Parts: sequence; structure tokens; C-alpha cells
Amino acid sequence: MVAEGRAEGDPAYGEYLANECTACHPPDVTDGVIPPLWLLPTDYFIDALRAYRSGERENPVMQAVARALGDEEIESLAAYFADLREQKGGS
Amino acid sequence: MTRLTRRGLLGTTAVLGVGLMAAPHVLRAQSRPKVVVIGGGAAGATVAKYVARDSKGAIEVALVEPKETYTTCFYSNLYLAGWRTLESITHRYVNLVQKYGVVHYRDMAVDVDTGKKVVRLASGRELPYDKLVVAPGIDFRYEAIEGYDEAAAMDMPHAYQAGEQTALLRAQLEAMEDGGTVVIAPPPNPYRCPPGPYERTSLIANYLKKHKPKSKIVVCDPKDKFSKQALFQDAWQRYYEGMIEWIPGELGGRVVKVDTKEMTVTLEGGDVIKASVANIIPPQKAGWIAHRAGLTDDSGWCPIDPDSMASRVARDVYVLGDASIASKMPKSGFAANSQAKVVAMDIRHQLLGDRRFPARYRNTCWSSVADDDAVKVGASYKAGETMIEVVDKFISKVDEPPEVRAQTRAEADAWYESITQDIFA
Repeated sequence: MVAEGRAEGDPAYGEYLANECTACHPPDVTDGVIPPLWLLPTDYFIDALRAYRSGERENPVMQAVARALGDEEIESLAAYFADLREQKGGS
Repeated sequence: MTRLTRRGLLGTTAVLGVGLMAAPHVLRAQSRPKVVVIGGGAAGATVAKYVARDSKGAIEVALVEPKETYTTCFYSNLYLAGWRTLESITHRYVNLVQKYGVVHYRDMAVDVDTGKKVVRLASGRELPYDKLVVAPGIDFRYEAIEGYDEAAAMDMPHAYQAGEQTALLRAQLEAMEDGGTVVIAPPPNPYRCPPGPYERTSLIANYLKKHKPKSKIVVCDPKDKFSKQALFQDAWQRYYEGMIEWIPGELGGRVVKVDTKEMTVTLEGGDVIKASVANIIPPQKAGWIAHRAGLTDDSGWCPIDPDSMASRVARDVYVLGDASIASKMPKSGFAANSQAKVVAMDIRHQLLGDRRFPARYRNTCWSSVADDDAVKVGASYKAGETMIEVVDKFISKVDEPPEVRAQTRAEADAWYESITQDIFA
């Protein structure tokens, strides 16, 4: 198990914000094209949202989602999904 | 409906008091705050699940929904195309009951006393509540089209409440001879799923092109423009050239009369169309119980507080999903699911003192137009002073490359699996 950067955000706020994610992102691995978010490493997750927000990464749905998120929201989401990953016993 | 009176309140308290003294075990049960949810669609089922799950049993949640299963209106056009089975878009409430402890009353809410805070069911049972969630979806204004009523809908299905009606429309399409005429009559605004009738037009054309290529579709529209119009019309041109005729309202497209014996549809412009299959989607209003409970305004829909979806008419009542007036937010399953999460948070805050965060809403609508081609539209919303306001939005582009469209098509399928798990699993 590789240690990774922990997000500074508020996981309770992140849990509320994550309700927006679960409309599209599945709770577990599927054969669909949308990944479960707890599976993504925290640093990758934060970088991806920032890249969607700046328009550097494509996908209009994710760009619109990310543009509605400030740094505090992104950090909080990251903290929540990191906790969820721990609960699920993943690394 | 009776309004709140001091006498009514005292009466309720007194009866409760006697019950509590007589049976201590009832005390525990009754000390849990009660939430009653009317309607088990994308809005109601999500609220029921989220309140029960996140309060970890601290709130008693009752779901009033006569049906044992729920067939989603979203994705029912894919069934009409022959791409999906009806079973694959039908979901059960068993997880809500077994995993989260929701009590499912397979019964119909027939009255609401927002003064005494009681819901009455068809069986005669009364359910008292601390918070009531009203999510009945839509009803039809049958009186708007001469000759069209619930009985006529068995011959000319609306297929806009999914299940039996959808199966009927599919069966009619399968039985139709090659060379037949399918009339599709979209409703005027506002209505459930704005791109729905046009996705349906695309996917029925998709079926006909493969199996009955001499057939035609006439879209008889009361409106002059519609959701994702440029995207749909581009797709109709590219995939189904010559098969689809769209008659807008300004050219007399509105259906004013139907005759189910002759299978004719009369338009405002005077044309009478002989249909092989007629899909008549009447004008709409909030579901019946919302009217009965006095939660609607003159528009026939329910005004709400944009920060919580609380009714502007009655205290301790929320209205969400298609029945609510959510201003710029469309009436969609996605929007209903999003609103439900704000409602669930507000309920937990009010009843348990849990943390409250600012309301955030989202919508995304995918529409499939051909086998490997789908388009999407979406937006983020926040609570404004008087209404829900758009923060950010996007829409697919007409000239996107095929790979992007194929990716959007795959994304739609992945979304459907996720959102139905989010609601029902």
C-alpha cells in the first residue's frame, strides 16, 4: 500500500458535495465508461478536477461540474473519497 | 384539506399523550421523528433512501407508493427503439426497505391535512408526519384535447408515465404495417423531460428504418422551438432523411382533437391526419395529490423555496421533482434526484440538527439519436433570492466528431446504471 497525499478538506462537506457525483459515478467498479470516484488516487482526483475546471481536460459535463467547484469544494470531495477508500480497504 | 387550528393541534397532542402512557414501547417508536414521502419516483425514492440511510435509523421514513416496482420514464425511449427490455428499466423498492429501513406502504395517498400534519391513504390508514415530502410527478390535462381521455390513451398511448403505457406503444409499433404513419404529439411547456418527445421521435425512426423503412413520422407540435432542436434536426437529416416531418405550432401543428375509432388526429391548422399509431402526449400539471393538498398555484404546479424545495404554501412540506416549479431547472429524473439530496439534507438539519450546507442542484440530460450517437445538455444551479438560478451550462455541438458522439452514447448507459443505483440500491 502506497501512502499518498491526504486532502486538507472537510469530509462532511465533501460527503454532501459527493451526492452530486453519485448521480453518474457508480459505487463500485463496473464495465461502464464512468469510474467509481473512491478508486482514484487523491492527487489524481484533485488534479483532474482542476484540469476540467481550466478546460485543459475535455468533457463538457465534467467541465461544468468543476467550474461550479472552488478549491475548498475540491479538497473536501477529495477528503471524503479518501475516507471512503479507507473504509473500503483500498489503497 | 383543513387548515391548522389550535383546537386540532391540542386534540392530536392529547391523543398521543394517552397512547404514550398506556404503552411505553410506543414511546420509543413515536419519539423518532416521522417523514412521509408520497411518490416513489426519482424524487421520492431518493429522498426516502437518503433520509433513512443518512439518519441511520434516527428518522422513521414511510414511502407511500401503490406500485411494487417503478419503471423509469427516462430511458423508456430506448425500450421503444427495441434497444432495452422493459425489465431493464424497472426497479424494485426492496433495497430501500431491507437495507435502509424505509417502510413501504403499497397504498395511494388520497388526502393530506397540512394543519394536523396527517396523510390519509386509500385504505383508510392515517400517517402522521413531522415532515412531508410530496413527489407525485405529473398528471395530464385531458380536457385540453377533444376526444382524448384516459380511455382514449389505451388506443393512442401517451407513454409518458412509463410501464403499461410504454409497452402499449411499443406493441402498436411492432404491429404496424410497413408504410404506416406514426403521429407524435409533444405537449406545450412546461412538461416532463423537455427533449423526451424528440428523442422518442429519433428512436422510433431508428426502429422503423431497420424494420419498416417505408413508414413515416409526423410530429405535431404546439411549440415553435424545442429542447436541443438543432441537434435533433441535424440527426434526423443525417440518419432518417425523409422519414420525419415536424409541424411547428406557428404552422398549426397543435393537436386539437382526436378520434380513436377512425384513428385520426385533427390539427389547429385544420389538417386531419390518419394515423397508424398515435402517441398523444397531453399538456401536463402536478400530480393529483399536490392539488388535493392545496400545494399548487394557478399554473397547476407547486411553488417552492429555492434553498430547500420547501412548499411556499404549507409548513413542513417539501415538493420536488416534476410537480415543483423549479424555474430554469427542467422536469427530469436527474433534476429530481438532485433536488432530493437537498431536501434530505434539509430534513436531517431540521429534525436532527445535522449540518446544513448551501443548496446545489445539477441536471444533465442525455438523448440518444442513433445507434452510436447521443447528445447531452446540462447545467449547475444555485438557490437565488426568489428562484433556482443557473450557474453554468453546456450543450453538445452539432459538428462533433463521431467518436465524441459514441462516447456520449456510452456515457448515457453508464449514467443510467449509476442513477438508478443511486435511487433504488
